[in-house]
Amino acid sequence: MNNIAIQLDNVTVRFRIPHEKIPTLQEYAIRWLKRRSVSFTDFNALDNISFSIKQGETVGIIGANGAGKSTLLKVISRVIRPTQGRVFLRGRIAPLLELGAGFDYEMTGRENIFLNGAVLGFSRKEMAARLDGIVEFSGIGNFIDAPIRTYSSGMVARLGFAVATDIQPEVLIIDEILSVGDADFQKKSAARILEYYNNGSTILVVSHNPNSIKQLCTYAIWLEHGIIKMMGSVDDVINNYSLSLV
Amino acid sequence: MIEYDSANRPPAVIDEFIQLIHYRDLIFLMVGNILKNRYKRSVLGIFWMLLNPLLQTVVLTIAFGTMFKSSLPNYAVYLLSGLLAWNFITQTTQYAMGAMAYGGGLLKRIYIPRATYIVAAVGNGLINLLVSIGSLVIIILFLAHPITVAWLFLPVSILILTIFSLGLALLLSTASVFFTDTVDIYQVLVQALFFLTPIMYPASILPAELSQVLALNPFVILIEIFRIPIYTNHFPDFNLVISAISLALITLVAGWILFTSKADQLAYRL
Repeated sequence: MNNIAIQLDNVTVRFRIPHEKIPTLQEYAIRWLKRRSVSFTDFNALDNISFSIKQGETVGIIGANGAGKSTLLKVISRVIRPTQGRVFLRGRIAPLLELGAGFDYEMTGRENIFLNGAVLGFSRKEMAARLDGIVEFSGIGNFIDAPIRTYSSGMVARLGFAVATDIQPEVLIIDEILSVGDADFQKKSAARILEYYNNGSTILVVSHNPNSIKQLCTYAIWLEHGIIKMMGSVDDVINNYSLSLV
Repeated sequence: MIEYDSANRPPAVIDEFIQLIHYRDLIFLMVGNILKNRYKRSVLGIFWMLLNPLLQTVVLTIAFGTMFKSSLPNYAVYLLSGLLAWNFITQTTQYAMGAMAYGGGLLKRIYIPRATYIVAAVGNGLINLLVSIGSLVIIILFLAHPITVAWLFLPVSILILTIFSLGLALLLSTASVFFTDTVDIYQVLVQALFFLTPIMYPASILPAELSQVLALNPFVILIEIFRIPIYTNHFPDFNLVISAISLALITLVAGWILFTSKADQLAYRL
């Protein structure tokens, strides 16, 4: 029990979809007066999901579009709270799907390191101490004091990656093929993730491509319409998933 | 090691506060960035914060100053002190609402305390207010209006205005996420209230019946508490202070409870 990194118990995330969009107060009031109710459809993006992941495991999450992958990640990274059930997480989470969250394109690279760091929950002091390392890893060089609206998209992604992974997170969430920057930087970033993996970080890989999951993970969870269709060793799950696609 | 347990956390009212403290540097950075972005590409830059109220006062004084010459000596001081309190409350709340209703995308992507934008908006308004007091001092010196020991009360007035604005911003932002119309309704209300609040004119010109109704306008109390030490040069009387403090605290408590109880739904709704 002590080496659990992520645990979900009967997690349900329910979105409420109005039958017709009711964007204004006036319309809402009219409907309310007429029928005394507004009709909704409840839609479970995640339906009674339970699993647990141990520290240091690499787990692939696979499923078609709309299967609930993004919702699952949001509920794990506490962006949304589950409608029902419990999410438990031990350690700091680095969601590499959201690189550079909060970046302000009018600000310089340096200012954005502090801003992005603050969004990730680090104090100004911590960021100041780590500034040089981040700048160096990002390879932005002299552009660091230029507004990031002048950066190429690759440079922005590199800066975001450098901030998010500067210290080892306990849990890493990555997209199928983490393609940040040019070939050199991809090598560098892959090496860093491998290093964290060797040092015991738990890694979640999201994908709808079976091959990348097979390469990277030992376990896999297959989501379909918000429920777990199958989970277990990566070979079993991926084989069944691949068969279902044919 | 940090642990997150969705089923076992402090009540939302407390949890949000703890998170805000933890993310305080984010708030400071956001306040700084609002200011920087706003004046970054203008020649006069940050001086606009001083110039804006000065120009506004000059124009309005030319327009209305003579009308109230006898009842309001040094009309510009009366006007600007009222205007500063008014602008602080309304601009802060409008900015906060806009930030939530239209700029809340970040809240859907990554976890940050949900009240971050609102607190940053109030912080930004507060800086604006403090700088604008500089313009007020310029006008006061120019008109040789007295500055007395009553100014010592101003920090209390500003604190009351801040508490009230934060509370109102929380209430309105929550409402605006659920009903976008709140933004427009509030804008119309603010416009109407501006003319129903003695800012450009003395309260004494209103007919007696109307001034009773006016006593129900909460903005009157808040503007008075700020304007009296500056314009009339005495401490506000005890009853006024008590009603202002009560109003501010009730608003903040109501806003905080409403906001934190709905905070979890924000990411679903934005």
